Amino acid sequence: MREWIEILLRSIGLFILTFALIRLLGKRQLLRMTPFHFVTYTAMGILAIFMAVGLIKNLIFGFLTLGTWFVLIIAVDYLAVKSKQFHDFFHGREMVLIQHGKIMEESLNKQRLTAEELLRELRSKNAFNLADVEFAVMEATGEINILLKADKKPVTPYDLGNKVAPQSEPQTVILDGNIVDEALRNIGLSRGWLTAQLEGMGLSLDNIFVGQVDSSGDLYVDVFGDNIDLPKPKVKELLYATLQKAQSDLTTFALDTENETAKEVYGKDAQKLDEVIKLLEPYLTR
Amino acid sequence: MTVGSKIKQTLASLKGANSTLQIYAAQSQDVETQDVYHAALDMTSEVIQDLEIRLQTVEYEEPQYKGY
Repeated sequence: MREWIEILLRSIGLFILTFALIRLLGKRQLLRMTPFHFVTYTAMGILAIFMAVGLIKNLIFGFLTLGTWFVLIIAVDYLAVKSKQFHDFFHGREMVLIQHGKIMEESLNKQRLTAEELLRELRSKNAFNLADVEFAVMEATGEINILLKADKKPVTPYDLGNKVAPQSEPQTVILDGNIVDEALRNIGLSRGWLTAQLEGMGLSLDNIFVGQVDSSGDLYVDVFGDNIDLPKPKVKELLYATLQKAQSDLTTFALDTENETAKEVYGKDAQKLDEVIKLLEPYLTR
Repeated sequence: MTVGSKIKQTLASLKGANSTLQIYAAQSQDVETQDVYHAALDMTSEVIQDLEIRLQTVEYEEPQYKGY
């Protein structure tokens, strides 16, 4: 009877302790860990369980072992940050598997990696064709990262020579029907602005699940009722169309008028608006 | 439609575009974007001014079409 209470209390205590220790060790992701990290984390977990179920009778010894592992991990992490050699010694180095489109068989052998495994990894990176891969490297974590050949890379606006408007991260201003004041402050807007926007859309705050403001200050909302179709903000498209209409109007005026000076002014203004349209195109049309 | 009312229509839509631009210039977080909107604002304002002057001339020449 007394034994199970002891195990229960030990389990709870060690659960909290291990949780605290792991949190102190940092936010490293399990999948991205080097084998060394994986072993140390596992060792700490096993130690804690052994102590909980009483396989380690002397609790002091148990805590001593746990503490030593913890301090050693912290020490190794610290030294790995300070020294590159130390880091490579403990965590291993990355290894080039494909260079200039050619597989380095020696590296594969060293990592005991078969051709099938390499191809599988490449496929998981969306490179089904070996011929498309320029460079592949196996990180110390065992993950394989690839660089596609220049002509197989996805096209970016830069490649197309297009200018695009800079976009920073959107701010989530409404969550579950509540206004997030911090996000509003970050983007320099007030609650009054938000309520005015919502009124314009004909929505009340408690209808809204998520609301986001993008970097140009437009509000996008998702409502609870999924059968309600909300019009997407079309202000930018409208503005672009208005400018184009005004520009063509001015051109027509220039053609219609018989007054020479007016003709000239209209022509010049039409050109100015044309410039404005070109300037704003990346910002107004997505 | 008379020339005057056509100009008025264009002028009104341009003024609307101008104020929308002003909103975007104020709302944008990015400095580069703000600069672009301000540059566009300057140019549309010049066009609006030209149109207003032209409208005055037209109304002076054809006073029978004055007003809305």
